[in-house]
Amino acid sequence: MSAAALSLKQRLKLSRFFSGEAPAAGPIVLTQRRVFILPTQRGLAFVLLILLLVLIGFVYNNNLAYLLGFLLASIFFVTILHSFKALAGLTIQPARQQAVFAGQAGPFSFQISNPGSQPRFAIDLVLQSELAISLAAEQAQIVTLYQPTRQRGWQLPGTLTISSTYPLGLFRAWAPLRFDSPLLVYPKPASQQLPFPDSDDGQDKPGQNRRSGDEFDGVRAYQRGDAIRQIHWKAFAKGQGVHSKYYSGASSSELWLDYQHTPGHHLEERLSQLCRWLVDAEQAGLRYGLVLPGLRLPPDNGAAHYRQCLQALALF
Amino acid sequence: MPFLPSTRLMLFMLGSIGLITLPHAWHIPPVLFGFFTLMLLWRLFGVWRPSYLPNRLTVFLLMLAGIGLLYSQQHSVFGRDAGTGLFVVALGLKLLEIHGKRDVYVIVYLAFIVAVTQFLYEESILMALYILLVCGVLLATLITQNSQAPQTLPALKTSAALILQSLPLALVLFVLFPRLEAPHWSWLDDDTQARSGLSNTLEPGSIAELSLSPELVFRVKFDGELPPPAQRYWRGPVYASTDGVRWRAPPVLGRENNPDQPAFTGTAYDYTLMMEPQKQNWVFALEMPTQFAGGLRRNGLYQLISNKNPGDRAEYRLSSSPAYNTGGISKTERRENLQVPGKPSVRIVELVRQLQDKQARPELFIGNLLQHFRQENFHYTLSPDPMPDQPIETFLFERRAGFCSHYATAFVYLLRVAEIPARVVGGYQGGQINEVGGFLEIRQADAHAWAEAWLEGRGWVRFDPTAAIAPERIERGVNVDLQIASGAVNFSPVQLDAKTLSWLQRGRQLWQSVDYNWQRWIINYDTVNQKAFLQSLGINDFVKLGYWLLISIAGIGGILAWRLLRPNRRRQDPALVLYRQFCAKLSKAGIEVDAGDGPKTLAERAAHRRPDLAESIGRITAIFIRLRYQADSKTSDLQVLKTLVASFRV
Repeated sequence: MSAAALSLKQRLKLSRFFSGEAPAAGPIVLTQRRVFILPTQRGLAFVLLILLLVLIGFVYNNNLAYLLGFLLASIFFVTILHSFKALAGLTIQPARQQAVFAGQAGPFSFQISNPGSQPRFAIDLVLQSELAISLAAEQAQIVTLYQPTRQRGWQLPGTLTISSTYPLGLFRAWAPLRFDSPLLVYPKPASQQLPFPDSDDGQDKPGQNRRSGDEFDGVRAYQRGDAIRQIHWKAFAKGQGVHSKYYSGASSSELWLDYQHTPGHHLEERLSQLCRWLVDAEQAGLRYGLVLPGLRLPPDNGAAHYRQCLQALALF
Repeated sequence: MPFLPSTRLMLFMLGSIGLITLPHAWHIPPVLFGFFTLMLLWRLFGVWRPSYLPNRLTVFLLMLAGIGLLYSQQHSVFGRDAGTGLFVVALGLKLLEIHGKRDVYVIVYLAFIVAVTQFLYEESILMALYILLVCGVLLATLITQNSQAPQTLPALKTSAALILQSLPLALVLFVLFPRLEAPHWSWLDDDTQARSGLSNTLEPGSIAELSLSPELVFRVKFDGELPPPAQRYWRGPVYASTDGVRWRAPPVLGRENNPDQPAFTGTAYDYTLMMEPQKQNWVFALEMPTQFAGGLRRNGLYQLISNKNPGDRAEYRLSSSPAYNTGGISKTERRENLQVPGKPSVRIVELVRQLQDKQARPELFIGNLLQHFRQENFHYTLSPDPMPDQPIETFLFERRAGFCSHYATAFVYLLRVAEIPARVVGGYQGGQINEVGGFLEIRQADAHAWAEAWLEGRGWVRFDPTAAIAPERIERGVNVDLQIASGAVNFSPVQLDAKTLSWLQRGRQLWQSVDYNWQRWIINYDTVNQKAFLQSLGINDFVKLGYWLLISIAGIGGILAWRLLRPNRRRQDPALVLYRQFCAKLSKAGIEVDAGDGPKTLAERAAHRRPDLAESIGRITAIFIRLRYQADSKTSDLQVLKTLVASFRV
């Protein structure tokens, strides 16, 4: 629900109209405090139209022209209420955010639910990307909007502006919303493909600087978890099914990715290179460990380990 | 991004624009309407075949053609006809140029202006309803434009709701918005439309058939009793000078300053008279008007003249007294009202001498003359033979059949030959009582001509020779319905019995009553009426008016806001309500109910935790899923679910 009452100063703050109130963690219900309404350009043109009709009524002493003018004027007035109604009561909450690599478009997901019995015919959502949806009565929908990511780490969504010009386009009702639902951004993987480090962290047994495929041992039926590089494409192309090439020692070889031994001029470059190696190692199905100053993740592989390593890089 | 209007939007828009312009087919030159129709059809065709739409150059050429047409058809730049033509042509051209949402708005706004121009031609209740409906479709066009997934019926419903919600406020504005008398701009005037009605001249011989138009001329609402039918003479123009064939009004010069107030005796009738649009600015008061409100003057012929535009409806407060004495007569007036063209023929002189007594007493002569009409073989007919040459003689001695103008002119002519000042008075006689509204309707078919003679000591006295020959014409008036139904006007006679006729009549009276009130309260609500009405509410000045406006806007706005914005109560699915009860029971049993869980997940976990309840949990979940998500659920399922949930014990 909406937070505590705003003080007068907060209420009159201009930024409320454009960038919204302080970020909220939970769901936000659109109430009169959140929704702002102003006439659009078309609405202003409509006012000119009304004036023209009343002028015609005046010049020709024509009461029906007056009446039509007044009818349009009160439609203009009533539309304000309908504009508010187009958004009022909608509940928006952030959904689970999917982490991305820096430089990719960051997907921010929100759940919009319409608890009332009244369908919403036009809702425009703008983060950096735009989306227009309609919601039937008592329906909810998860929408994903994108915002560019540049830096690794936690990134908050910008102001999500939810707006509607329904029904006549004479008024625009909008609500700027900010959510405290950060998106995890991993470092951008380096574009150069350097060989894996031939490193020895001194405490464990030496790491393998061996790309899988050194000692080809045979072919076995594809198993879940086999890296895509191990797929025996030739056999697959011949229609013999999916097989993986099997390398002796591949399962036992452990790769240590150490910050200290990573080439790079500065922190970001090194993290970026580490990230590249992590992606490659996971793809190759290697067991890999990560060593950062003050952090040590023992060798392993799989989605959970992969995410853990990337998160460590992102938040380093 | 190219703008692609949806087919639905285009059909909505083109449909409403066609409907809104349609009544102009009778108002604007056919060439302009044809041009507009062509544009509309072209655009309509383009909805399905966009490649056939004109390119920019063609649109430009069409625009030049439109300007050329406007220039050739219109004679002025300003005014109603020119403005209407301009807007219709502009609307047609704009239809071919829809490149964005903005153009849709321009078109819809133009269409609203064209809608208003309809009211400059016709202000009937039907036209108002028609325009209101079409405006609903126009609004639906805008709603379609602003919806993500537009649907026809909801859009129309929303626009209807918008209009209904707006009407109260519109009416309040209508009543309270100050009506200022607009100055009369002559450059806005168009040529007077051809309207039927009495004219400046009377030529009975040339008319072969009296028109029985049921067209309304004016309505009268009496404050008290109605005068008896024989006194319902509504005075119009006076025809005093004649060339033997045509009768015309006397030269008005010198008359304007001579409106002697007649001496009135007896009771006066107070009434409200509402004139329909007329050709002339004559106001047909009951003989004789004693008092009349501003905007009216009485000329020397005791006729009321309005200074308002005769093309507008107008309402007047009048007072008349049927007993009057106009007093003396001036020499000029006497000479004018004895004027006959040339020398009367021998036959005429002979007839006059026959009817005159030795002393040549006017009253006696008139009595004899009326007696003559009654006794001799004179007939009243609505379709006499035309009498182009010497109409009076032909009528008196040969045909002896005619209607009011024949009798009145012949009567006046004979009186003048007998040296009695006399003149023909035109106007209306009678009228039909509208029982629903309690007012009198006077139609063109009630047009009448009678005579007036100046008698010593009595002044101008009314004589109606038609009454002598056809007293029922005066007593009952013209039954327009009957005459139309019996074929006097209609060429295909319809057999109508009295009962059907009375139903027809009653229906028409009801409609007339609605129409009367429409004219009276809506169309005719002007500065004077508004002032009177507002004063009855206690609003005397603009400050008070402003308060009233603010209070009513706030009041209506408040009611609307309360109606529209109260939280709409959810119509809960009964199955969901029961399932929630079930969930509550589960959580009481210590089973975590997570909002994110589907019913199946929840059931699995619950059954795992409480194997003893697994069976009933499974059954409840299965029925709930069937009720909520499957189309083939039975109505009995709900009852079963209810029992199961009620008997579920943890």
